[in-house]
Amino acid sequence: MKGYRALTRATARAALTYRFNLLLGLGAVLVQLVALLAVWRVILGQSSVNGFTWPQMRAYLLVAFAAGTVVSVLGDFRMAFRILDGDVALDLVKPIDYQKARLAEAIGGLWIEVILIAVVVGAALVIGGGVDVPAGPALALFAVSMLLLVPLKFLIVYVSTLACFWTQNYTGVQWARLAVVNLLSGALIPLVYLPGWLAAVAQWSPFAGLTSTPALIFLGQVDPLHGLTLVAVQLGWVVVLWFGARLVWRAALRRLTVNGG
Amino acid sequence: MRTVRLYLRLLGAHFRSLMEYETDFLILAVATVLMQVVNIVFLAALFKTVPAINGWTFWSVLMMFGAVALAEGVGSLFFDGMWQLAWHINRGQLDYYLVRPYPVALQSSSAAIGINGLSNVIMGSLMIGAGLTHVDIAWTPWRVLLGVVLLISSIVIKLSINLATNAVSFWLASPTPLFAFAMHQVGDLARFPLSVYPMALKAVLGMALPFAFISFFPVAYLLETGQSAWLGLLTPLVAAYCAGAAALIFKRGLRRYESAGN
Repeated sequence: MKGYRALTRATARAALTYRFNLLLGLGAVLVQLVALLAVWRVILGQSSVNGFTWPQMRAYLLVAFAAGTVVSVLGDFRMAFRILDGDVALDLVKPIDYQKARLAEAIGGLWIEVILIAVVVGAALVIGGGVDVPAGPALALFAVSMLLLVPLKFLIVYVSTLACFWTQNYTGVQWARLAVVNLLSGALIPLVYLPGWLAAVAQWSPFAGLTSTPALIFLGQVDPLHGLTLVAVQLGWVVVLWFGARLVWRAALRRLTVNGG
Repeated sequence: MRTVRLYLRLLGAHFRSLMEYETDFLILAVATVLMQVVNIVFLAALFKTVPAINGWTFWSVLMMFGAVALAEGVGSLFFDGMWQLAWHINRGQLDYYLVRPYPVALQSSSAAIGINGLSNVIMGSLMIGAGLTHVDIAWTPWRVLLGVVLLISSIVIKLSINLATNAVSFWLASPTPLFAFAMHQVGDLARFPLSVYPMALKAVLGMALPFAFISFFPVAYLLETGQSAWLGLLTPLVAAYCAGAAALIFKRGLRRYESAGN
């Protein structure tokens, strides 16, 4: 445990070193936030659609921004480079678990992401006015959902990064992941707007937990029982992916070739 | 002519090295297609809720998305090397380019090939094509010609902005083109009708960084939609202005270049 805490601390201190990737990741999510806010303001200006009013959609998009910024930038490219360079060999000889170590690093980068979220959401609230905050129990459930988002997102990024053991082209894998996550998590558009079959697939996929679940709970669009179910699905995927990732890792290690040192 | 022939040969060399990694090539191409498919699904879902946004239909916005994809695609496929300029400056590697009898900007832009551009060129063309078949335009030879001029101008604007923002690296001396990437991302805002944005953003996208002339204004002019459709006619002028400004910025920047010494 002590080793992992040290990794978390080290990443937390080094986080600012990666400000280029940090700003790059933030820029994409921020541009999407601005564009979607502008478009929905026009669409929902006259009437509500699919149960979303303009203030609700605004709150949805702000939660989506926060969810999209958490665990977005610090872990994946470094892990990818280490695999592609062969530096991963050094990680393998350390007497700690590889997957837990990467999670510890992802947690270490959280503080800077939380600050960025606070700045952007704060600015949005100052410019456009406040949003309705849900009542106590729903707020607690929202907090739980946001906490579960950290391991869930880490695991999705982690598993996709393991693809580097099979391909040299990490960028392609990353782009494909971003595209799929953007659509199926509800970050681009709430899932109810998607065609029925696609919405159903997205709803039960691990991706819904990345935006849709916390956002719907925050808006009070789901009753408490439904909200609990959604969070349970989130938790279920965290468990499944945690052990699934170990299987992928075992298969990946058999592929590893490191050329001398 | 010799310039173009040499340019294609430079690119060809990179293309051959790229083909050595066939799977990687496919992954990137497929991922780019996937990104555009997600965009189309998103637009379709959005326009199921309303027939039009400020008078803009699904097909017209699809054309704007397509125009941005096409311009980006041409930039990646034929001029991807620009994005390595910052790295080359930082490492002092521009020396090699300076001693060769060929324009430095062209040597730099041909230094890489982004195969994702191929997907974007194809997807962007398909999106523009699909949009054109579903909108009502009275085609005359004059209008066809104008459409082609607008398309070329739109691509020139994107390339010029890429070159100008990357040339800023001559002053910043950072190894990564952060400024250029940030501006590239801002350009994604221009995929939507400009009228949805507040005044300040309209000014930025219409004048300071004329991304709106890549997609919105040319489409607005062709479809005669919106209050300022005539502004689309300015696209070739904006393109000429951008190209001139980019060339000037690059030339000024190059004068600041300092070799790392060997």
